[in-house]
Amino acid sequence: MRKIRKSTRLAGGLLGSVLLLAACGGGSDSASDTTAADGGGASGDAAMTITYDIADEAVWEDGSPITVADFQCTLDAIMKTTGSISTSGYDKITSVEAGDSDKQVVVKFSELYAPYKGLFGGLIKKAAVANCADISGDFGTSFNYSGTEWKMESWSADQVVYVPNDKYWGPRKVADGLKKLVMVPRPETEITDLKAGSVDFIYPQFYAGITDELADPNVKTVLNYGGDYEALYMNLGVDGKNTTAEGEKTRVFADAKVREAFYKSIDLEALFKQIYIPIAADATLLTCGPMIPGQYCPEGIFGNKYDQKAADGLMKDAGYEKNAEGLWAKDGVAPKIEWVINTGNVRRESTQAYLIPLLKKAGFNVVAYNCDAECYFQKRLPGMDYDLAMYISTAPPDPAYLVPSFTSDNIPTEANNQKGQNFQGWANETATKALHDSDKEVDDAKRTELIKTAIVEMDKDHILIPLFQFPKSGAYRTDRVDNVEGELNNYAAFNDTYQWKDLDGDGQIVIGAEQWPGCLNPVTECANSSWYVWTVANVLMPGAYRTTNDGKYVVTELLKSEPKVETK
Amino acid sequence: MLRYALRRAVWLLPTLILVTFLVYVALRLGTDPLASYRRTNIRVSKKKVDEYIAANGLYSGAFGYVRGYFQWLWGFITLDWPRSIKGSREVWPHLKDALANSIRLGLVASMVGILVGNAFGVLAALRPGRLRDTLVNSGALVGLAVPPFVSALLLQLLFAVYWQKWFGYALFPVSGVYPPGHQGFDLFLMIKHMALPVVVVAIQSIAVYSRYMRASLLDVLNSEYMRTARSKGISERRVLVHHALRNALIPVTTLAFLDVGAVVGGLIITEGLFEYPGMGRFFLVAYGNGDFPELMPWMVVIIGSVVTFNLLADIAYAKLDPRIRLG
Repeated sequence: MRKIRKSTRLAGGLLGSVLLLAACGGGSDSASDTTAADGGGASGDAAMTITYDIADEAVWEDGSPITVADFQCTLDAIMKTTGSISTSGYDKITSVEAGDSDKQVVVKFSELYAPYKGLFGGLIKKAAVANCADISGDFGTSFNYSGTEWKMESWSADQVVYVPNDKYWGPRKVADGLKKLVMVPRPETEITDLKAGSVDFIYPQFYAGITDELADPNVKTVLNYGGDYEALYMNLGVDGKNTTAEGEKTRVFADAKVREAFYKSIDLEALFKQIYIPIAADATLLTCGPMIPGQYCPEGIFGNKYDQKAADGLMKDAGYEKNAEGLWAKDGVAPKIEWVINTGNVRRESTQAYLIPLLKKAGFNVVAYNCDAECYFQKRLPGMDYDLAMYISTAPPDPAYLVPSFTSDNIPTEANNQKGQNFQGWANETATKALHDSDKEVDDAKRTELIKTAIVEMDKDHILIPLFQFPKSGAYRTDRVDNVEGELNNYAAFNDTYQWKDLDGDGQIVIGAEQWPGCLNPVTECANSSWYVWTVANVLMPGAYRTTNDGKYVVTELLKSEPKVETK
Repeated sequence: MLRYALRRAVWLLPTLILVTFLVYVALRLGTDPLASYRRTNIRVSKKKVDEYIAANGLYSGAFGYVRGYFQWLWGFITLDWPRSIKGSREVWPHLKDALANSIRLGLVASMVGILVGNAFGVLAALRPGRLRDTLVNSGALVGLAVPPFVSALLLQLLFAVYWQKWFGYALFPVSGVYPPGHQGFDLFLMIKHMALPVVVVAIQSIAVYSRYMRASLLDVLNSEYMRTARSKGISERRVLVHHALRNALIPVTTLAFLDVGAVVGGLIITEGLFEYPGMGRFFLVAYGNGDFPELMPWMVVIIGSVVTFNLLADIAYAKLDPRIRLG
């Protein structure tokens, strides 16, 4: 079996993904809901007030009620914990207080926050942590609470076992006969395991030839197109982090002309034919930036700009000359461009094998700088230790995820206490303002234009090269499990396990995971992995909203009804 | 014999201290634990960094290394181990499981390899140049030439994927220590899960030991004292068992002890191929993270095992060859 390894990054921030599990849904929904609630008026000095009414019967796994204290604890943990990976949105909250009772939560904001449905997507149980203001030391080897239909029975490096939560109050009751949900790490053997019947379901990253490998009379493969997209990202560097492994002081892509020249040195159509057409014959080049096609996708940007002559001119303008080896050099030095991917990812390795010789021919000294998925997504990327990166982002439909990833105040540095997920070091005033304004804009059309403005700036600055809206794939044994296809296109992936049917009567369903969370903390870098979110946070943490398979928000059973939103 | 063993054992402790100190220095220089900690915890505060330095004794300067080592050693002995840098987990529970898994797999595979390999070696050496010698030699060459990832893949396909297709169930599982969802001890399930990894490891061991034993035994069988023994009229069986095998086993025994001593280091490739959570995978993850608090105990276990089994090899060697302890 060929080795594959899924390696996605959740766009919009891991915290966004963990705690903003429901940060999806169309922007239009968000905006119209907010507008509809305008009849009220934010209380006091708050620019916006949201009142959540927690269901009376909502309880944790030990039967204790879910209350305003848990909302307060969640806010504290996100804002104050050392190493909290994203505070986006929460940093606009001025207070979380009890309303008429401890089942009513009144959240006040210092300014409007349009994508508010992404907030409180995963609650932290106050009684489960020693100190809400710093939970960095919690969740070492277990996740000791639940507010969903499952609860964790055990977690180890070998497996996580979930059993039905008998205190769960909502409609997502675990199907009859299903006694255990088991997830096991199978990064090397997931397809073999599936075909051998050791696991019932896998969620592999698609690549050319995988359907042949999965061919089996008892295996069904499902393919959807959702919010995943793959792109190449350039690191511009930032003070304190802009050194390469060789100690060079400036990232080569800090120079806008070099970025543009680099972009124009790649024939994207040829690359696409080489890498992506074998995966999906009818696929087209993604031209939307960090975004899948839809209302926020500007027209006429990105795409194939291949023009070697123009690229050469730009490099000369930037002060580069070709050296004896034919590489662009400045002051006698041909800077290395360190291209990081995760080792074992066949498609990305093929892309490197295809592009690096061509880029060298074009004069760029590109070298592979690969490491495993954990090192890539939890070290090199957040540490900005790369020049060029290639990865898939699993993005929610709401573009709020662009704020922590592309605004200048979200470049993690010591100065801002390492806040944010702008790991490219891109600082563009126009885009930053547009994105921040988009957070405050409740008019859907205006918000869309602001988002588009920011994406156009990304194109102008050549900070990324969008490639492909990536298919989501799930494969399962038809003789072991049924009813699994309902949510495979969901941003939250396979989050409807409660209704999966166990066909072989062993009382358990086994999911083979391509990656395994090395730790369980939902706020710190531990959560910087889509597989953490899918295998732990999604399964256990109750939230205000969840996403649907078609990219909408729905209020969860945690709340009695849609929260009341009041704006000034 | 006892005096010889004690004399060798006395050196065990200083050897352990010296080697662990060297490893401590090498790890600190080679992995830069502080930088690794910062890389793994990108947004860590200065306070946490200071706490990490203090907990792990990562002091700078030559004296700092010595002080740090003894602080670490004391913590290790008193079981006050620093927590892992990723997820702040206790190290021992994870290490203990990995160690148990690797010992189980390694010992069984080594025993199978040693016993079967030596048996084949004896069979081949007794009929040199004949059919069974040719078969054993050819088999050993094939065993050595087939890398573990190839044999693993073939075994997985045959006994799991195709068996499932043909008979509706997999004869042997392809991964893990137990089936998913299983908790607690179950000898049968454990053996079933170990079967394929053991075979993969044993294929190479059998090949190696059969070659060693054949060469060693042939050497002994052709020696002059064997002719003397035969000329005295001692039966061929007695010549073989009491004289030839005992001498032929000397180099093989040394090799066997060293091999067994190394198994706790994990069988990195095999463990990876079978998703087997042993010491090899523990090391890969810890090394990938630059996890100093996990790497040091791992190193101590490995060093302790190698040193101990070296001692046992010496004792066994002396037992088999009385001249050794006189020297």
